[in-house]
Amino acid sequence: MRMNDRTENLLLALPGLALLAMAFFLPIGQMLVLSVSGASGLTLEHFSRFLSDPFYLNILWRTVRLSLIITVICVVLGFPYAYIMARVSPRLRMWMVVAVILPLMTSVVVRTFGWMVLLSRNGLISQWARDLGWAERNFQIMHSEAAIVIGMVQVLLPFMALSILGVITRIDTRLEEASRTMGASFMGTLRTVVLPLSMPGIVAGSLLVFTLSASSFITPSLMGGARIQVLAGLVYKSVTQTLEWPFAAAQAVILFVGVLLVLIPYVRVSTPRHG
Amino acid sequence: MKTRFDLTLLAAATLSLLASAASAQDKTLTINSFGGAYETAHRKCIITPFEKETGASTKVVTAYSADAFAQVRAQKAAPQFDVIHFSGGQEIVAASEGLLSPIDASKVPNLANVYPVAKANIAKGEGPVYSIAAIGLVYNSQNLPKAPTSWKDLMDPKLSNKLVLTDISNGYGMLGFLMINRVAGGDLRNIQPGLDAVKKMLAGGAIVVNTSPEIQREFAQNGATIAPYASDYAFTLTKANLPVKFSQGVEGTPASFITANLVANRPNQALALKFIDMSLSESAQTCFANELRYTPTNSKAVLTPDVASTVAYGQAAMKDLFRFDAPTIEANRASWVERWSKTIAR
Repeated sequence: MRMNDRTENLLLALPGLALLAMAFFLPIGQMLVLSVSGASGLTLEHFSRFLSDPFYLNILWRTVRLSLIITVICVVLGFPYAYIMARVSPRLRMWMVVAVILPLMTSVVVRTFGWMVLLSRNGLISQWARDLGWAERNFQIMHSEAAIVIGMVQVLLPFMALSILGVITRIDTRLEEASRTMGASFMGTLRTVVLPLSMPGIVAGSLLVFTLSASSFITPSLMGGARIQVLAGLVYKSVTQTLEWPFAAAQAVILFVGVLLVLIPYVRVSTPRHG
Repeated sequence: MKTRFDLTLLAAATLSLLASAASAQDKTLTINSFGGAYETAHRKCIITPFEKETGASTKVVTAYSADAFAQVRAQKAAPQFDVIHFSGGQEIVAASEGLLSPIDASKVPNLANVYPVAKANIAKGEGPVYSIAAIGLVYNSQNLPKAPTSWKDLMDPKLSNKLVLTDISNGYGMLGFLMINRVAGGDLRNIQPGLDAVKKMLAGGAIVVNTSPEIQREFAQNGATIAPYASDYAFTLTKANLPVKFSQGVEGTPASFITANLVANRPNQALALKFIDMSLSESAQTCFANELRYTPTNSKAVLTPDVASTVAYGQAAMKDLFRFDAPTIEANRASWVERWSKTIAR
């Protein structure tokens, strides 16, 4: 006797589901439990400690704000790059793909060291800025929010560019030709034809970039330094250095909820129109 | 990205640990070391001689003290380490939580030659101290021809701009800060004077770093002149061809005791005790002092004059070193780190 389709599907999905349950739902569940556990049973003290302290709220706001900025910059840089990649010869496209994912293949230390050479106090860019009289003696871009944005955009741009590339290559070029023959300028065509049709790619890329930048802590801690913290870095510190695991779990839950609060409306607004 | 990758690695590492524990339990020892030059010296001075002598193999996991402690605590039900090394006083908490086994001195013959201060609480489970890092003033001798002699020199406004502080989530950073706090008029019950002093230093242009390699970067590339940090790291900077020297402040020299601890509920404690014994041997300790400029705790360790001149060495020098009360630090670490973070936050 043949199994019906549903059983078959379920069996096929089972390994994936089991892995997801073990590697995702179980730890998330544990984290939720940990975040409300106190010395004497259930408590919300870890959440109220975070939410009632401007220090922590500022760090939450910085995390969300920087992630948004990083996402916007990735869209602005990634869309034209992906468009050009989609329209050049396959050979050149391969090189462009290699160029954009190259930062991912380098270790975070090497990558950051490169930025230090350019951005630190005695680095090239800081020196130029001083020589031109734009900056004071102590000026450096390293250890600032700008440095975090620069470092993160470099790592996350491939996620955006490749997500958009996948969508643009499927857009029929005759649509663009039609638009041009109807009198639209090149930029006009991009804006009214290509951009709307690439929205699924932009949305997917933004989701990836936003969540990855909200949850990363190594690049922000190296580029931003000890004095500019992001939430994921705080969680890491609470787990490994001050050993306040329940507080760390509460911070992680807050980060998780914060990301969801930004993402859900974004997906709602941007997907239905384009399916 | 990185986080997820790390988690996979961690899972893989745990699995392989479990697998190896099952197959070669009696002849494999799992320990932690601190990475980089420390781990290289650790292998040369202790691990390789140990493997040669016993025929055992050693699995070295790179984990700093706080990280290592977090792992040992998380693995309480099924410990994965045999010997765990701490530099930040974590052994006190670990012993009180029953994560470590008391050490029977008769099974560790080299303990007989170790200074009493370095083996005070082995019966409680706090492992013996096998080397000591002294915290003082690391300075660039070209920019600062006259050696700093006092911790108060760090508060000189003319130096703020060239001063590198280390975040107190780092063990040495904590000790340096507590010393600044003491000199500024505070004590372990009150760190506000220290925080106020740090605030002034930051306003004057001082930099805060998270890790030791960043100190090297500041000295090498960004014209840093002075940093409260450890003697061994001064030597690391010297080896990198930087004109760096180490000076002990007259107010005292806080020290970081590096301990080798016996993890509880592991099957091969006899082998682990052998490892700890070798860590305390004269040859291992002389080797460590030669390689990294740590202070030996074995009173029989003999250093050449040029090495001896750069570390705290011998009975008399041992008296200049003091240790901030580690249980107090542990009890307050979380709240101090939080207050420190708020003080330095931009």
